[in-house]
Amino acid sequence: MDKLFNKILVANRSEIAIRVMNACRTLGIPSVAVYSDADKNSKHRLFADEAVHIGPSPPRESYLDIEKIINAAKQTGCDAIHPGYGFLAENPAFAERCREEKITFIGPSPEAIRLLGNKIESRIKMAEAGVSIIPGMKSTATDMATFEKAAEEAGYPVLIKAAGGGGGKGMRVVERSSDLQSAIEAARREAKGAFDDDTVYLEKFIVNPRHIEFQVLADHHGNTIHLFERECSIQRRHQKIIEETPSAALNDELRNRMGKDAVKVAKAAHYTNAGTVEFLFDESGHYYFLEVNTRLQVEHPVTEMVTGTDLVVEQIHIAAGFPLSDQLANLTQRGHAIECRIYAEDGENNFFPSTGSIIHYSEPAGPGIRVDSGMQAGMEITIDYDPIMAKLVVHAPTRKLAIAKMIHALNEYKILGVKTSKKFMIDVMRHPDFVAGKTFTNFIEKNMSDRQLDMDTYKEIAVAVATVASTAPAASQKSTERGIKGAPPPPWEMIGSWQIGDSIHE
Amino acid sequence: MSSCEFLFNGDVVASVLEKDGENLKVKVGEKEFEFRSLGNDLFSTTLNGTRTDVAVVKHKGVYYIDIDSVLLEVWETSEDTFAGGAGDLVGEKDKVFAPMPGKIVKIMVKVGDEVDEKQPLVIVEAMKMENQVNSRARGRVKAVNFAPGDQVDTESPIIELELPE
Repeated sequence: MDKLFNKILVANRSEIAIRVMNACRTLGIPSVAVYSDADKNSKHRLFADEAVHIGPSPPRESYLDIEKIINAAKQTGCDAIHPGYGFLAENPAFAERCREEKITFIGPSPEAIRLLGNKIESRIKMAEAGVSIIPGMKSTATDMATFEKAAEEAGYPVLIKAAGGGGGKGMRVVERSSDLQSAIEAARREAKGAFDDDTVYLEKFIVNPRHIEFQVLADHHGNTIHLFERECSIQRRHQKIIEETPSAALNDELRNRMGKDAVKVAKAAHYTNAGTVEFLFDESGHYYFLEVNTRLQVEHPVTEMVTGTDLVVEQIHIAAGFPLSDQLANLTQRGHAIECRIYAEDGENNFFPSTGSIIHYSEPAGPGIRVDSGMQAGMEITIDYDPIMAKLVVHAPTRKLAIAKMIHALNEYKILGVKTSKKFMIDVMRHPDFVAGKTFTNFIEKNMSDRQLDMDTYKEIAVAVATVASTAPAASQKSTERGIKGAPPPPWEMIGSWQIGDSIHE
Repeated sequence: MSSCEFLFNGDVVASVLEKDGENLKVKVGEKEFEFRSLGNDLFSTTLNGTRTDVAVVKHKGVYYIDIDSVLLEVWETSEDTFAGGAGDLVGEKDKVFAPMPGKIVKIMVKVGDEVDEKQPLVIVEAMKMENQVNSRARGRVKAVNFAPGDQVDTESPIIELELPE
């Protein structure tokens, strides 16, 4: 095999760190993990060939500390760093530091990250390249007159957005002109607090769109391709929870057009490595460039399933200077793939974060079932990091079969000790609108908000299960001890116990 | 055949277990279920005509259960479950432990006080919630090892009692 890298440091944790290390192992490249105090016993630490402790649990003092990561790479002799997603993945200063140290950053150039990180600049650039953008402002402004004029031109409702960031911060929907000024002021304050930059701009608010994105790969020899779309319309709190490909909304003509535009976007930004071009797709079939995510996406596995690729392996090839391989030129979409993100949060209680120890963990398996996970029995889920625990991905010949397989796999996926959103996911999979492919970004709000689970219908079966479990104390006891010996029980367990205990004795 | 009692969603629910070779039959009220053990805390049963695998782990007197992705908790009704917190060692009713690591908000008794079973002794705050710890036995307060404001873990007795002979 061609020489790629001597050793790769993975500047991330949990499932994505393990995912990247798997690609390194596939290629026979040793990998180095970094870990904080909270991740001392984590799976990603043990999965790597070597591991470097980089400090306390708060991300700012470990996973976000550029110099600590650079030092760890130098100390272990790494000639490349893969940032995963989140943390430093889209930080141009980090990519620049890697370049200074002659360590290859497995991702795009700092210049591309910087350009695409600025929402206004990238809007201007893409409009120039001939890609349709959401109607609205193409420059920053501070005076109300400019905002008012832009709002009239775009037509209400409009959306105020921060130039420097995302994640819903510094964002305001404005329904009428009388609310415009106060919304701009509020968005400025929020943007200042979140990104230290109070630049905001205005664009038309697209009502109930689909979120459709295209995976792109670009090498250092001028070749740029797309690997089709992913639809990520099922979101809660502006965060994707279920993704799939192909999208039920696209036909071949649209798919080709959007794919070509995605390639145009990447070329306009002189983009290299793996990236994702996001579009909003409105009810009348128009699509608009939204932004580029300059990293490997959480939901990349669905693309891998239908195209038969390994995107991290491709990232490493590209970073090492190799041209895109010939087989990438003739990819097709084979079957249908769906991903459900498994978060440590209570799907029955407004997605409230859940913490505790994993006291039972067993993964589903079978043809077309993939689990990307950072979990194991005995592990503590703490509030230090993003609550994503695992990604469950299925692949089947048709969308209908993929949905059936996902329901089966979710039921086979057993995680006890922390609350998860598994049951919520199943209810989405079974919803007639989801089955019919009517997936828009307001899906959860529209279809799931008055959802309720009647615990009493489970009374008999729950007690029956406890009864059989009580006859096999040895097995249960053993796994409990293996899981959490010496650790205090999760507080939420104890709180419940005391309330019920009190009432029974009185 | 053996009879059991559990707590579910605040109700006491009785069940009857019958072993029939490898099969375990359980009757709860009017309903009957059959289980097979799959090992590793997993059992299979048939619900509404469909084979269903359930996971169950008992931890500190609570059965944590996953049935068709619904997470359920069933509680033991035995006295020890409710009285002990992390320090619920059988035969150590003369020691009072915090149910979870936290801060002592209030101690309601002093050395020499006579206490009744289930009498409130201490309030511990954890995760912004106050949790009342009750006595598990009748007796006399022998020692109070902490004061309000102290941090406690689940291993150190907050109060020690002298039990009647």
